[in-house]
Amino acid sequence: MRHVRADGYPEFAAARAGHLYRSACLLTGGDTHLAEDLVQETLGRLYVKWGRVSRVGNPAGYAQTVLTRTFLAHQRRRSSTERATDTFPDVADPRGPHTDAPLRLTLVEALAQLPAKDRAVVVLRYWEDRSIQETADAMNASSAAVRTRCVRALARLRELLGEDLGEYATP
Amino acid sequence: MPVEQHEDPFEGRLGDALRQAGGTFEADGATLVAGGEARGRRLLRRRRAAVAGGVAGVALAGVGGALLVPWGGSGGEESVAADPTPRSSADATKSSTPVSGDDLLRTLKGLLPEGKFSGEDSRGTESESGPYARLVYDDGKGGGAIGISMDRIEPGSRQAREVTTCPAEELVPHDACSTSRLPDGSLLKLFQGYEYPDRRVDTKWWSAELVTPEGHHVSVSEWNAEAEKDAPITRPNPPLSTEQLKKVVTAEAWRTAVDAIPEDPKVPGSAASGPTASAPAAPPSADGAAIEKTLIGLLPKDVKVVSKGGQEAEYRFVVVDDGKGASFVQINVQPGMDEVFGSGLEILPDGTRVATRQGPGDDKGGKGTVMWTVDTVRPGSLRVVVSAFNTGAQSADATRDTPALTMAELKRIALSEKWEQLVPKG
Repeated sequence: MRHVRADGYPEFAAARAGHLYRSACLLTGGDTHLAEDLVQETLGRLYVKWGRVSRVGNPAGYAQTVLTRTFLAHQRRRSSTERATDTFPDVADPRGPHTDAPLRLTLVEALAQLPAKDRAVVVLRYWEDRSIQETADAMNASSAAVRTRCVRALARLRELLGEDLGEYATP
Repeated sequence: MPVEQHEDPFEGRLGDALRQAGGTFEADGATLVAGGEARGRRLLRRRRAAVAGGVAGVALAGVGGALLVPWGGSGGEESVAADPTPRSSADATKSSTPVSGDDLLRTLKGLLPEGKFSGEDSRGTESESGPYARLVYDDGKGGGAIGISMDRIEPGSRQAREVTTCPAEELVPHDACSTSRLPDGSLLKLFQGYEYPDRRVDTKWWSAELVTPEGHHVSVSEWNAEAEKDAPITRPNPPLSTEQLKKVVTAEAWRTAVDAIPEDPKVPGSAASGPTASAPAAPPSADGAAIEKTLIGLLPKDVKVVSKGGQEAEYRFVVVDDGKGASFVQINVQPGMDEVFGSGLEILPDGTRVATRQGPGDDKGGKGTVMWTVDTVRPGSLRVVVSAFNTGAQSADATRDTPALTMAELKRIALSEKWEQLVPKG
């Protein structure tokens, strides 16, 4: 059995911060400031309970779950009545022009138009490759609810981005 | 890979597109890691400071009358807003030698009935992330993981209540849970539940949580598998009965270990303590228990509260019944919020903004549920949101046509002046 060292926190954090941040950027629909905040909060929580976390077979997956829940808790604090955002969040790219930037903005913009929980479902299902059941577990939701959200989110993304996702699908 | 289960090619393309889009976000890894660690330390420090304040406050009050209660006047409630500065002198009141991880393991094994041990792992009280011991115990009927960890906690604080309060069945399904007060004044919670609340895998998770009047917090967990997650079930139940769990968690040795946990030496400002010394970093939060009490007080006379709960600050729920079936009612009381509303916005003469919504209650997926919501923000940025459902649990199907409270009743609750009294003026 693979064993994660109990004192391996710094290595773990360094190895996973980038991935968590990218997840958070997708979850927040491109709000990079909020994404940073969520990742730091997630790492902080893991730091505190690292003893227990490191015993988990898959700490990376656990970290993603903590991130998702932190994000959803944040959303709930902001608003208990779920609704799609009316305005696009700040997606300015501080690194200046980037070849992929226009594509990313389009997809991320589309994500930003989904309700927060739908976005979480999309990110867990298609970015994290989790099953419906695993997604439901991470979100403390029922699998039926996740399935419903998933269908709804896919329909909306199809509508916004087109059926073939043309330019995105490049390997 | 779950991708292969996707029947719709759009889903596969979406995965690719997401990976492409996600990959363009470049993280400043060092900043994230440093920031995460700083937050983790702050969380730990708060925990330890909470106990230092509680214990040392009593010990030193007679000496110099030093003000040692960072939570002064708030009824022993830990304020999330304040980053309380613990007394370095707290340690002076205790003379304790470090307890090693091996010591903890030895103690744990000594408390267990005869059996075979394996998979041992531990960390002593000098470890920055806190002490624990864990092992796999086999009484001959199959191995089960057992873990113990301990830390300080402020007695009577919200955190102390949270760990010793049984979760609401609506939020965390479980087979049994009880909290009792022991002769020495400690609070003990015995819990029999599942590693995965949705029971997608039937791994059982049983635990005992102990909080002593002096602020020792000891937590023992056991599973009917050799690891917490991702290990096959080895036996019908975890190896220790709740009675045996109680015996383990109440052993005196753990309290000695908690006393040996050092204060964080990097905490600044140990000389001057008290409310003035701690700069509020966030708006003060509303206490959950007070929210619950106020909410219940504001409910219409003809509904009966059949259940209540909520683990977080600023949030509570009650399940009410007006004789026509259960109705889930939840509330958030949030200072420092200034959300701008969408449609249906009404502005009252005093500047309070009110938005209402009657929509599907798809929050957690029950069939046919509706959620009625009144959302309010007062001029001082205090937000009160009340929602009622036509079902008794968020995940359950609808059991009635409409919630037990009308929109007018929800509005009256949300706009009550009582909420302003709950939030300290910051």
